Amino acid sequence: MDNTTMVAAVQRHVFNALAWTLYGFLLAPLVCIAIVSFNYEPVQSFPPTTWSFRWYASALQNAAFVNAATASGILALCATLVATPLGVMAAMGLWRSQWRGKPFLEAFFISPIIVPGLVTGISLLVALAAIDVREATIRLLIGHVLIVMPYVVRTTMASLSQLDPSLQEAAETLGASSWKAFFLIILPLIRPGVVAGMVFGFILSFDDVNVSLFLVDARTVTLPISIMSYLQYSFDPSVAAISTMLIALTFAATVILERWFGLKRLFAGH
Amino acid sequence: MSSADAMPLTADVGGGAPRSRWLPGGYALLLVPACVVVGACLVVPLSYVLALGFNPPRPGTVELSDNLTVANYLRFLTTPFYWRVVGKTIYLSTVTTALCAILGIVLACSIWRTKPSRRGILLIIVLSPLLVSIVTRTFGWMVVLGDNGLINSLLMGLGLIRSPYPLMFNDGAVIVGLLHVFLPLMVIPVLASLERIDPSVPQAASTLGAGQLTIALRIVLPLASPGLVAGITIVFSLSMSSYVTPALMGGPDSGMITTLIYQQFVVTFNWQFGSVLVAMLLATSMTLVGLMFYEFGRRTRTWIIRRW
Repeated sequence: MDNTTMVAAVQRHVFNALAWTLYGFLLAPLVCIAIVSFNYEPVQSFPPTTWSFRWYASALQNAAFVNAATASGILALCATLVATPLGVMAAMGLWRSQWRGKPFLEAFFISPIIVPGLVTGISLLVALAAIDVREATIRLLIGHVLIVMPYVVRTTMASLSQLDPSLQEAAETLGASSWKAFFLIILPLIRPGVVAGMVFGFILSFDDVNVSLFLVDARTVTLPISIMSYLQYSFDPSVAAISTMLIALTFAATVILERWFGLKRLFAGH
Repeated sequence: MSSADAMPLTADVGGGAPRSRWLPGGYALLLVPACVVVGACLVVPLSYVLALGFNPPRPGTVELSDNLTVANYLRFLTTPFYWRVVGKTIYLSTVTTALCAILGIVLACSIWRTKPSRRGILLIIVLSPLLVSIVTRTFGWMVVLGDNGLINSLLMGLGLIRSPYPLMFNDGAVIVGLLHVFLPLMVIPVLASLERIDPSVPQAASTLGAGQLTIALRIVLPLASPGLVAGITIVFSLSMSSYVTPALMGGPDSGMITTLIYQQFVVTFNWQFGSVLVAMLLATSMTLVGLMFYEFGRRTRTWIIRRW
């Protein structure tokens, strides 16, 4: 008996040690970036000898990064604003339909997540070039709507599935128009789901590389891509400074999302 | 995929006035805009690219010509170099997926077994990488694994090694980077299916004298399998099509199919041959997803669609 409790205890300790190592593994790169960003020296070295904010200043003065960040922000915002109505409408349609093909439609709306981003980007590049659209802003907007929409559909569906479908009918029976019933009753009830999908879609759009890689041009570059090209030929802590700012922002958003909606239901791709 | 032929709602809501005939159709109309967007912006362009693969290479042109040929496919199939690239892509993805599955189960179990009050913070730790740009994460690994990075500095500081040990720009670095990127995506579905297990089942096994390991391997693991299968599908197909991590951590010629695709489209402008590579990437990753879909039936299907 003693023996088995011993074995069980050892098993438990090994398991816990492994789990904590993995938590460390997940956090290590993010923590390292933060440390490097405060290092005064231009080459990364551990541990930093002198601490400073100078890389934050140099990152914020770097016109390429600032422009790219602005472009990414505007792009993610526009994509979210276009994709949200589309996604909510689709989710409402799916919610109300009893059609046999419903699972297929659902899969069809989620398919932009399943098709590799790189393939989506290339397809848009080639097809749009074939009809002579070579404007990077248009290409990027279309690509990013495809990134955001599936998440809005999914989170809205998750919220809707907890509602009683007869709510809408009850409102309509009592004389409300379909529109009124939706805006006054359904929408307030599913707001957390819609907002979660929007926030999450925004973050993914802002961070996207795979889809955008082929759609950017020399004048319009998104932030992750400008960071990536910067990393391919130079290596100074200003990238770490930008990354730290982004990590701080997304962490804040994550905590808010967790409070608001529960992260587990968001099931991400990247 | 027109939704105009949707059947009328059969679910009858008790009481109330007879419903107008246009209502079901009205709701089906809500599906149209999203269908049009996905169709016009994804299905049509993708079909165009796949068609382009059957045109003879003409660098810089994207117009489809009537001149159909399988020359691009023959070139792909008869060149050993391309086979090596596909082989390496599959190999790296397989190793990443296997490690992800094992470690993902460990993490999911550890979250599953903690008190609900502390679960939130662990979930945030596990999910946080997802919400940080992949470029940033890859850069983080460059900082950890680089020549004056964390690990080499530590080892040199401890006097264990004299000169930096090359940890970057090899297959190991790519696997570490991919593992970090995809581990959360494995944990989520596994955790979700663990949470659906009735806690009295493992307890009953324990009462009947099963050891911890037996319970874990013979009861918990089979019950968590739908989530695991979904996780494996997702991680494998995303590893196949990942670009950033191999490009930044595997060095300039990491030999993954995605870097090759990038070269064809951006450097050599041979879009016709590039389309063949895209078709191959899509075929490989989609075949796997399709297999999972049909092999593991409806439960996994809903899993993948709802929780990808």
